[in-house]
Amino acid sequence: MEVIRLKHIEKTYSDNGVPVHALRGIDLSISQGEFVVIAGPSGSGKTTLLNIMGALDKATEGQVFLEKEDVSDKSKDEIAAFRLEKLGFIFQAYNLIPVLTAIENVEFTMMLLGIDEDRRRERALEVMRDLDIEELAEKRPNEMSGGQQQRVAVARAIVNNPSIILADEPTANLDSETGANLLDLMEKMNREHNLTFIFSSHDKQVIDRARRLMILKDGLIESDTVVAPTE
Amino acid sequence: MILTIAWRNIWRNRRRSLIVLISIVVGVAALMFNDGMSVGMIHQMLENRIGSHVTHIQIHAKGFNDNQVIQNYVPNPALVEQALASTDGIDSWSRRVVTFGLLSSALNSSGGLIIGVDPAQEHEVTTIAESIVEGEYLSGGTHEVVIGRKLAEKLQVGLGDKVVGMASAISGDVGSDLFRVVGIFETVSSEFDKTHMFTALPNAQSMLELEDNILEYAMVVTDIEQVEQVAAELRSKLGPDYEVLTYNTLLPMLVAQLEMYDQMMYVVYVIIGLAMIFGIVNTMLMSVFERIQEFGVLMAIGMKNSILFWMVIFEAAILGVIGTVIGLAIGSASVLIMGSIGLDFSMFAEGLTSFGAGAIIYPKLTLTTITNVSVIIPLTAVLGAVYPAIRAMRLQPVTAIRYV
Repeated sequence: MEVIRLKHIEKTYSDNGVPVHALRGIDLSISQGEFVVIAGPSGSGKTTLLNIMGALDKATEGQVFLEKEDVSDKSKDEIAAFRLEKLGFIFQAYNLIPVLTAIENVEFTMMLLGIDEDRRRERALEVMRDLDIEELAEKRPNEMSGGQQQRVAVARAIVNNPSIILADEPTANLDSETGANLLDLMEKMNREHNLTFIFSSHDKQVIDRARRLMILKDGLIESDTVVAPTE
Repeated sequence: MILTIAWRNIWRNRRRSLIVLISIVVGVAALMFNDGMSVGMIHQMLENRIGSHVTHIQIHAKGFNDNQVIQNYVPNPALVEQALASTDGIDSWSRRVVTFGLLSSALNSSGGLIIGVDPAQEHEVTTIAESIVEGEYLSGGTHEVVIGRKLAEKLQVGLGDKVVGMASAISGDVGSDLFRVVGIFETVSSEFDKTHMFTALPNAQSMLELEDNILEYAMVVTDIEQVEQVAAELRSKLGPDYEVLTYNTLLPMLVAQLEMYDQMMYVVYVIIGLAMIFGIVNTMLMSVFERIQEFGVLMAIGMKNSILFWMVIFEAAILGVIGTVIGLAIGSASVLIMGSIGLDFSMFAEGLTSFGAGAIIYPKLTLTTITNVSVIIPLTAVLGAVYPAIRAMRLQPVTAIRYV
């Protein structure tokens, strides 16, 4: 099943009045359960593409279909609701809410969905148990290591059972061993729950795990290779 | 959870939040104390005027208050006294003869109000008897007079000295009588003490050729809140030949001052509110700018703009409510404590007594002050957070996440 379709996406920024073409006409389709890595040199448009796929940014031209729904012209609140239900985000800097404990961070998106306190606590514990971070439940972000924070961020991203997880340089701030463990975890989630993972990264160990690798150069897809077919 | 986040966010920058909190607390407490002082002072002025002479309600013949000529005496005192006896809510009353006249001693003379009273009745409605500082209150004897301290100083008379009272009698001739000073009173109003003298009712009636006629009935009610109802009942019983006036009508300047003060307090609220708004706007803007990246993440993971808006508003509202509660407690406590022991302004006694307030001011806590402060201050804090909250709402998640 197709979860993302981009139709001739262009993105142009203005840098002090000078137009910068970040994306120059991207067409792609991603199906449920894929484990995609978008790689490329700095300035190639990886993060811009990921942001557009995540409906965080709007394309200058073209259409974005998420789960067959055109999100290009949706209002800010409609897009927020869509992101809340269908997408999960993992950021390079973890970006947990510093005033909340780990379990409260995981519960947060469920709270936004209006799920009652008992159910969200139960679900958050279940996910944290799956990710082996149950013992971090009552810790605040500043009491956790980078790897622990990123695991909590993964828990937050998957807790609402989204169909797509977008991860922007998730291992960039982690040492290689912690990064590898995190990727193991994501592969497991992909395998066991058929979750679609889309990474933007130039970290070799992320690229090595790709089952579909897209190389971006100067705002265009230079290559799109299926490295290993989705199981 | 939004409230939890708002609460915890407040304490992320403890020092800044405490400074804002302290400024609200000090503002609220100062506002309450200032309000309490002013209300206390004006009420004292009002109560002093009521207590020394005006009383709660006066009854005259129709038109007497506007044109105080002795020819306009009460048409039927028996009818008035019957009405007074049959009306609930009246604590005590007094018959009076009141006229403007001239009081002269061997050395000087001064104009003022010559008041003939039944000493026992008057004792029940005014505080003149308690205000005697030299000599004694009227015993009801012939030619006795008590005068104010300032008037005595002006006439250069003391106890036992003679003074001559002169006023226009009912026949149109000048009525006069010789009085002997038996007492000197001193109220909190030097202006009152300069212009009032009291004698027994028959003395005044005789001097003015009034026979048994009465010019004024003065009374106090048991519950001041009921004063208008009591007056209305008396009016209905007495009919159109009489005027029944409450202190609101008898002291128009003072009542107007009280009302004007209420209006002025709103101006003070606005000024303090404006100062507070700028403080809150500044604090909340700083707080928003410090968390741009965090807000970006919240938006990215699906938080709606409206929730983000309320989160910022809650932070200011929590500060406003806590500051108001603490400020109310401190302000109320200080007003209540000072209200019971009084604030001694003896160094300004001259000015305060000329206003009729007295040298010791007793601040007064009113429900209006508490209500106004409880509503206006938290509301101001919320208003101060609206602009920062809108700024937070307008952030674009994609740029906010990357904000450093």
